[in-house]
Amino acid sequence: MVIVLIVLFAATLVYFFLSERVSNFIWLLSVQGVILFGIAFNNLLHIQPLGLILILLETLIVKAIVIPWFLNQLRHKNELKRVHESKVPVFYSLIIISAILIGSFLLSYTIDNEIIQLRFFTVALATVIGGMYFIVIHKNIFSHLVGFLIIENGTFLLSLAVGGEMPFLVSLAVLLDVLIAVLVIGVFLNKVRDSFDTILVSKLNKLKD
Amino acid sequence: MIFIFLGIALTLSILIFLFPHRIVFAAGSFFYVLLHVTLTVYSYNKLGACDSVYFRFDSLAVLLNALLSILLIPTLFHANLYFRRYVKDVKKEAQFVSAMIILASAISSVYYAENIVVMWVSIEITTLAVSFLIYHNRYETPLEAAWKYLFLSSVGIAIAFLGILILATQSASSEGANLSVSYLASVASQMDPFFLKTAFVLILTGYSVKLNVFPLFAATIDAKTVAPSPVNAIISTALVNAGFVAVFRVYSIVNQTAMNSWAQNVLLITGLISISLATIQLFRIKRFKRMFAFSSMEHVALILIALSVGKPGYYAALLHLVFHTLVKAGLFFQFGQVRAFFHSGWIKDSGGYFNLNGTGSLAFLLGILSILAIPPSGLFISEFLIFKALFSGGYLVVGIFVLVLLTVIIYVIVSKTMHLLFAEIPATYKPGAAIVNRFEPVSQFLLFIAVIYLGFNPPEILTGLIHQTIQFLN
Repeated sequence: MVIVLIVLFAATLVYFFLSERVSNFIWLLSVQGVILFGIAFNNLLHIQPLGLILILLETLIVKAIVIPWFLNQLRHKNELKRVHESKVPVFYSLIIISAILIGSFLLSYTIDNEIIQLRFFTVALATVIGGMYFIVIHKNIFSHLVGFLIIENGTFLLSLAVGGEMPFLVSLAVLLDVLIAVLVIGVFLNKVRDSFDTILVSKLNKLKD
Repeated sequence: MIFIFLGIALTLSILIFLFPHRIVFAAGSFFYVLLHVTLTVYSYNKLGACDSVYFRFDSLAVLLNALLSILLIPTLFHANLYFRRYVKDVKKEAQFVSAMIILASAISSVYYAENIVVMWVSIEITTLAVSFLIYHNRYETPLEAAWKYLFLSSVGIAIAFLGILILATQSASSEGANLSVSYLASVASQMDPFFLKTAFVLILTGYSVKLNVFPLFAATIDAKTVAPSPVNAIISTALVNAGFVAVFRVYSIVNQTAMNSWAQNVLLITGLISISLATIQLFRIKRFKRMFAFSSMEHVALILIALSVGKPGYYAALLHLVFHTLVKAGLFFQFGQVRAFFHSGWIKDSGGYFNLNGTGSLAFLLGILSILAIPPSGLFISEFLIFKALFSGGYLVVGIFVLVLLTVIIYVIVSKTMHLLFAEIPATYKPGAAIVNRFEPVSQFLLFIAVIYLGFNPPEILTGLIHQTIQFLN
């Protein structure tokens, strides 16, 4: 079951680079949230109930519902439909993300550590690198926010891979911190649009000397 | 104690935000400074003790928190002048003070954090507070800077979290991951070298955004270019120190292992790249605050280089950190007055400051001499110790290379300063337009003179705290 979810998660990662529609990005992030919920639920049943509830809350409520809903609000407010301005053609991006996945797979299996669950680690690593690549190839700040959230999902998967259970209070602080950061970034995105009349990164150049 | 401190600080911040009245935030900020000083004194008296499982009153934390307590007093005074000059909206002023309290508290939390995840959470809070402080006046350019700072910091902090997770794999036991610094240091020698190295690089990369060094320095430079002077006085000093603490804690873990010399090489490379980039960029700057931002990058690079030398450089690195904090804050306070005179932060819009404001220009000149480590500045002593460590440690080429870069930096900064002090008064200057407070340069003179005094006659309390900090390292 977990393997199926991990493969699905990897598929969503590839689909991010196939798509150019903003609504698809949001939908994919929501799907990733649900998949992470499934993986976490399967993998963490043995941990303390409070910790489990928090993790499930983080995935199902925050990652699958709250953040996509918030992004959708941003999309409507800023009238975003299609992201045309990827610096790299889709075909090349597909090759690159496939290479990232294969590279992560090969790298992961050179690791000799019994604590790390390699099945998660491979996709987690590819997701983090893929998220960074997503930021690099897109020119608008909404896509950058999506890239940041892909990295966050990769980080979450990595935390499952390493299996380090953190104290409840610490997990709660991390969850709140990430959530507030995303909300604040979103609010700033709106302000950028209102002030500069665009969300293209190339237009944010007034600071240069 | 720290939880009580954070609780009271949060309450104060919310009260000031909800009741925007000058008396409320004047009383609130006074009470906050008192609270902060109390925390410093309390933690000094409890030196070495744990405060719950998440915090510890160690010497480095006490030292840096004491510096923050000292800086908060002039910062709030200069913030008041800043309000009178530019804000004039009590609601925005209250929001500013409220965010400043959150920022200072989060920085203190970073200093005292014993658990590296708690440290990470606190660093993320500083990002949010700084973004708000940069943008509080709602102009376009600060918005761009705030956006870039917020985004790049968030990415950097996510990268650092990856490093923390990797450390978690190495500290995992049947009871879960123990992420306290002292525990990690005690089990460091049993960790897998590959994972430890990866974690160190990721954490250094992630926190470089706070430390203002290569690779993620760009957003910090932009933020400092537009942030108000009182905010700059904190984010160029106390917040940089927070980044230093975060890197130092992880370095103190790696330091317990055979990878120590590898980690020192990483610090050396980071330092050399950073100081080289700062030197190149200084030729291109057209704004004073940008000049100070690259100057901070240069000084942090020197600190990393000193750490990379090992034992002989540790004392010099920490002393340099302390002196840089005091001098850079003073310079930003003085620049607040310069900006008020010329209504611009651009170098081309300045000139003749010596004739316009004799006392202020003397403070500026003293600050520039101090930051350039020209005697009698205390920074001269710390830089002298850094070079002594480099040369005695066999880093001859590195030492000469850095000396050449410092010479270039001195040339660039002095030429810009001479323009401000002695060039013709610009046509854009409007006589009498500046709101001048005759007590404004006092804080700068006190800070610069303190650095001169501390350089030649460091008190036992300062050297004691530094030596205790060095004991964390092998």
